[in-house]
Amino acid sequence: MPEEIKAHITGVVFQVTTKPGDTVQAGDPVIVLESMKMEIPVEAPRAGTIAEIRVQEGQTVQEDETVAVMA
Amino acid sequence: MKDLVDELAARRQRARRMGGDEQVARQHAAGKLTVRERLDLLFAAGTFTEIGVQATHAGISPDMAGKETPADGVVTGFGRVDGRFASVIAYDFTVMAGSMGRTAEVKCNRAREIAYSKRFPMIWLIDSAGARIQEAIGSRNFAGSGLLFREESIMSGVVPQVAAMMGPGAAGTAYIPALADFVPMVKGTSNMALGGPPLVKAVVGEDITAEELGGSKIHCEISGVGDLEVADDRACIQAIKDYLSYFPSSNAEKPPAIACDDPSDRREESLVEIVPDSARRAYDVKKVIRAIVDHGRLFEMKPGWAKNVVTAFARLAGHPVGIVANQPMVLGGALDIDSADKAARFIMLCDAFNIPLVFLQDVPGFMVGSKVERAGIIRHGAKMLYAVSEATVPKLTVVLRKAYGAGYFVMCGRGYEPDLIVAWPTAEISVMGPEGGTNIIFRREIAAAANPDEERARRVEEFRKLINPFIAAGAALIDDVIDPRETRPTLIRALEMAQTKRVERPWKKHGVMPV
Repeated sequence: MPEEIKAHITGVVFQVTTKPGDTVQAGDPVIVLESMKMEIPVEAPRAGTIAEIRVQEGQTVQEDETVAVMA
Repeated sequence: MKDLVDELAARRQRARRMGGDEQVARQHAAGKLTVRERLDLLFAAGTFTEIGVQATHAGISPDMAGKETPADGVVTGFGRVDGRFASVIAYDFTVMAGSMGRTAEVKCNRAREIAYSKRFPMIWLIDSAGARIQEAIGSRNFAGSGLLFREESIMSGVVPQVAAMMGPGAAGTAYIPALADFVPMVKGTSNMALGGPPLVKAVVGEDITAEELGGSKIHCEISGVGDLEVADDRACIQAIKDYLSYFPSSNAEKPPAIACDDPSDRREESLVEIVPDSARRAYDVKKVIRAIVDHGRLFEMKPGWAKNVVTAFARLAGHPVGIVANQPMVLGGALDIDSADKAARFIMLCDAFNIPLVFLQDVPGFMVGSKVERAGIIRHGAKMLYAVSEATVPKLTVVLRKAYGAGYFVMCGRGYEPDLIVAWPTAEISVMGPEGGTNIIFRREIAAAANPDEERARRVEEFRKLINPFIAAGAALIDDVIDPRETRPTLIRALEMAQTKRVERPWKKHGVMPV
């Protein structure tokens, strides 16, 4: 089941730490946001494969916006 | 006489069989213990005195004619939990699904009165379908009911109140946990909702299971009504005992200290390693807490909800304390609506029962932006200001790293009467960070500069020099800058010093809490 990974805080994409095809464990950072002057990882909700990354470094994302999709 | 005594024994035996073998087998098959098995685990052997075992339904409803309701579906009484008295109301799901009957309510009133008048904890074990409709329907039966919630409110802050969800709790039985201090929920078997699935379907047309509507995951991770998700009935009873071990029997007593063989002067080397060099990087504040408290043990309240703040009971040199710590791992440790709620409630709970508070600060501030403003973050943040201001228990503050804006205030900054406030050398105490501050104060200068980026960077560096714990300590506005390894001994000395703390406040009926 594909699953959307959503940002849980409004911020700027500081780093994209995974790419499509990467295998991740639950809790691994998929991207890192910068918000409130802190680096805040957006974590994989479960183990699996990254299907799609929907954001680029420097881009502003809103809370609840989809940043990546798991296969 | 002998015949009468034999009859008494038979009646007792009948009541203790609960809803009968078939219902008891169903209760076990559902993964639940029976109400009497639960009480055997809760109370020390031989200490439980049951009240109302002979009770039976009120006989006011034609629908109840011919039905037997052993103990009227709720077991009440008192006994000793780890040596201290507690009163209990334990619903019996094997008797008409633990529904609250009229006679059962008389028993519950009695059990609450015992806890309140003797000043010891009230424990509910909830496994109940809610009001027994047959006995509650109609204006005559309902108009006089509901006093239990008023009494529970009056008892709040006088005696500890625990409501363990060990099965369903619908409608009426869902407000009992809402007004209690501690609400453990058994995973998979417990749920609570103001309206159960059939009512939800009838009134708003939503198809939903009891688990999705109000299971332990919903309430311990999303709504925040539950305090702790536990694996099964045994773990639930153990959680109640662990929780109560930090509490006095009532607000007239101090919390019980225990013997401690973890040295008070223990320096903890790991504390210089946990906080990263980069101020923008996260770390797990629970590692800091474990390194400081007795034997690394803590009892977290709401560990699965509003995880950007950690609220936990622990001990220092055997004395119970309540710890409020920002968690940089979640939302960078920024405070938002739910975390302000969680911390404010925890502070009030500790203050009500004379449990000293330890604040570990690493907070970049309160969340900002349209989303949180529309949700009323000003009002919710104010709850934390209010709670920390009202608290008269010993308050100890350690600034680990960030202490920005109102985050510094609500985490018991200098203005909030900490009995000791110290900072690690990594502390940053300021109304805002250098970047944010520079952009506001020097907006025009930066815009007018030949090279705005260079000008901004230069101004940020100058601003950064103003944020330093030695400046705050140099002005005697914090009590000291400490080596992180000295945190445990420093806190223990301050805690022991503050035992005799007395705060006099002007009389008032009550304040206006910004709920």
